[in-house]
Amino acid sequence: MSNLSLKQLFTPKQLTKPTQSKRLETSRLFHRFGFGPRPGEYAQALKNGYIPTRNKLLTPLNIDLGASKVTDPVITDLGKRPEPNTAEVVPFAVAMRSQSQALTLWWLDKMTLSDHGLTEKMTWFWHGHWATSIQKLNYPLPMYNQNKTFRTHALGNFKNMTKAMLQDGALQFWLDGQENTLKAPNENLGRELMELFTLGVNRYSEDDVKAIARSLTGYQVVRSNGTVTIKESRRDTNPVTLLGKTTVFNGDTLSEFLVEQNNCALFIAERLWYRFISSTEPMPLNFVAKNAFSNRDILATVTAIASDSAMSNPKYAMVKSPVEWFVSTCRALELTPSLLKTPNKIINYLDKLGQVPFSPPNVSGWPAGEAWLSSATAQYRITFATWLIKQSDLKALKQIPKEKWVEQSADWLGISKWSPRTILALQTSLNDAENFALLALCSPEYVVNA
Amino acid sequence: MNKNPLTNPSQLGMKECTRRQFLKYTTGAVAIGATANFLTFDQIAQAALNNPLPSNTPILVIVTLYGGNDGLNTVIPYKDPVYFSSRPDISYKPETLLPLDAELALNPSMTGIKSLWDQQKVAIIRGVGYPKPDRSHFSSMAKWQTASPDKNINTGWLGRWLDTQPIDPMLAISLGSVLPPMLTGNKISGSALPLGGLLIPKGNLASQCIKLSKVDRTDSKLMASAATSMRNLFSVSSSITPILKAPAPMAIDLPTINGGNAGGDNNLSQQLDVVAKLIDAGSATKIWSVSLGGFDTHANEANAQATLLGVVSSSLTRFMSQLNSTTRAKDVTIMIYSEFGRRVKGNASEGTDHGSSGPMFIIGDQIKGGFYGDQPSLSKLIDGDLAVTTDFRDVYATIIESILKSPPERTLGKWSGRVNFLKP
Repeated sequence: MSNLSLKQLFTPKQLTKPTQSKRLETSRLFHRFGFGPRPGEYAQALKNGYIPTRNKLLTPLNIDLGASKVTDPVITDLGKRPEPNTAEVVPFAVAMRSQSQALTLWWLDKMTLSDHGLTEKMTWFWHGHWATSIQKLNYPLPMYNQNKTFRTHALGNFKNMTKAMLQDGALQFWLDGQENTLKAPNENLGRELMELFTLGVNRYSEDDVKAIARSLTGYQVVRSNGTVTIKESRRDTNPVTLLGKTTVFNGDTLSEFLVEQNNCALFIAERLWYRFISSTEPMPLNFVAKNAFSNRDILATVTAIASDSAMSNPKYAMVKSPVEWFVSTCRALELTPSLLKTPNKIINYLDKLGQVPFSPPNVSGWPAGEAWLSSATAQYRITFATWLIKQSDLKALKQIPKEKWVEQSADWLGISKWSPRTILALQTSLNDAENFALLALCSPEYVVNA
Repeated sequence: MNKNPLTNPSQLGMKECTRRQFLKYTTGAVAIGATANFLTFDQIAQAALNNPLPSNTPILVIVTLYGGNDGLNTVIPYKDPVYFSSRPDISYKPETLLPLDAELALNPSMTGIKSLWDQQKVAIIRGVGYPKPDRSHFSSMAKWQTASPDKNINTGWLGRWLDTQPIDPMLAISLGSVLPPMLTGNKISGSALPLGGLLIPKGNLASQCIKLSKVDRTDSKLMASAATSMRNLFSVSSSITPILKAPAPMAIDLPTINGGNAGGDNNLSQQLDVVAKLIDAGSATKIWSVSLGGFDTHANEANAQATLLGVVSSSLTRFMSQLNSTTRAKDVTIMIYSEFGRRVKGNASEGTDHGSSGPMFIIGDQIKGGFYGDQPSLSKLIDGDLAVTTDFRDVYATIIESILKSPPERTLGKWSGRVNFLKP
């Protein structure tokens, strides 16, 4: 294939359109600050112009009609685990399983159907930030409650979020908060609170870890429902010296003190950079998020990031994580996860791809970037996409005239530009819509947001 | 079952078959753009098939036991009265144990490993762990796999070793669909080979996917990686699929049992069957990763754990016997570990009987059989737990240096500890 014929494959329109320069930024808005466009949204956004689109995507809705279509799941307190080999074990296990599955599908439905992608995307971001796994909790209710806390604070104030998270039963249990007592301090929660949640690694001393552990003693958690109480007799109420300040902290004053640290603004800016701009390139020291976070206002910070010049720098590509890829695919194919045939298969596929909501691998959350690009994930992405496409009528693709499939499918999926490689592959599939969709959804341009 | 042991790749007929497949797949995909930084499809195929792993190249097989294997009921201090008094309900009867020396015995189910021990092929490193033991499965396993016990990081110890090697998707392969963090590097990661359900696109779709898997000159680094991962899928799978269809090497010295009901098939032995076939075929793979779960034995431990350890023991014995019918037996070293041992005393409340240190097993022809590291005392417990007497990084550093023949610094940083379990 000569270069000449490759050039001809580009539609001249795509090369010369005045909106071309904003295709990249608009694509990033949809895929990073949401879970991808629904059919027609990307093309409409290009028509509306970049600034209006950005304002629209970043402004929370008073009423999210799409998300309100998702019925809340029935998640109950399952109580104490029955003794092995008793009659109660089976109904307990069945309820545990069905509620856990319902919880996961509920969240995937929310991500897919929401009219305001940013709220869902930030809820997802905070789940990866305060990464708590149902695998240790082994009860769905505390995880459901934690998810509601993320929703409440997703775009709110980080100080309030941190206070709420110290009252969160799932997080407390996950990091052994209930084992942290005056007599036997357990550093797990205190260390991670500084390292992974508020300040960043090595921005405190080992003495600070001991001090913060003492400040966090006395929490008690009811594992099955996540209720948190404080038992005064287990609490260490002696003053501690933490990051240079000597006082007696409680959960709220400790949260305020940590979140007010300059390093907190630096750390949250780093985390947002890592998940929204680039997981491979280092954050520039003057990245806008650090100053934008001065009031610890999350929405203001995310808005500043979306308006930053980094958004148009081609160097900052991001790999879609398996959940992001799955949800954006459902939106493109107009599918609702819980309504798919045998929806349990979704969780199996996501498990094979290595990312199931509510089950991060460890307290530092999921990896990013190349970790999602293994030969096995390539394989499962193909089989997963095949399964999904079979259940879609592919309305959005089929209403495009065939001769324009290649060109307009980029708009359908919110892709800034197909590469010559992918154009060649797509052109071999103009007689088969399912096959065409499969190649497009598994293409490097869709798996990786340019 | 094929009666004749398959001893070299050409007997498997896979060279011809696979090359044909490759030609079929690649003819549709005409090279475009510069792909200088990546191996081409053909190069990978050539490497896997025409340049099999040179003879005498050491091969490492990692066996991960998920769930926290109870080390005290694996290598049992059978003369210590504290052992029996601490856990009256979950200790084994002394007469059923398999004594290794005057103090320690193997779990009654581990007859296969006992016989390898008698052949001096088993090193048992006692009391292995890391500072400040973490009792969460997830965190503790992360510490073992990243070899970074004091800091959460996203690369694995063998992934960082891969980073120092030339890019080759065959170099480290994990059986199962999810790549363990151990094999994740900064730049390069191991390949995952799912067992069963290995559905590689065929026919027209295959050639279209191969078109998609070309690195385009306009690709960003990550898009190029996405393309390459799909290409690796074809290169790994199309060189491996024909081999998987061939029978496993014969375990000559084990009795053949008709009907295949010798304790039932299990996933670990299936994984090891595949590894044995691929090693026999000359796969250019230096690291294999297999695993078995279910060691989180909170109830009926004695039976459950004996069953699991029996599976480990018999699968590995069979694997070693299969290797004996190939030319690679002496090259293979097996490492077995779990994320932690368990508490000395059973703790009924909430089932938090996760412990600290545990024994590691290193098995192979190159191993100097015997005990290494100090046996943690049952009377001098730390927080009710066994002491850690050997840091797992001592073992890793030894493996990287003496088996993978690389300087450990680039993987583990400066680390001076070693365990002298290899034959000189």
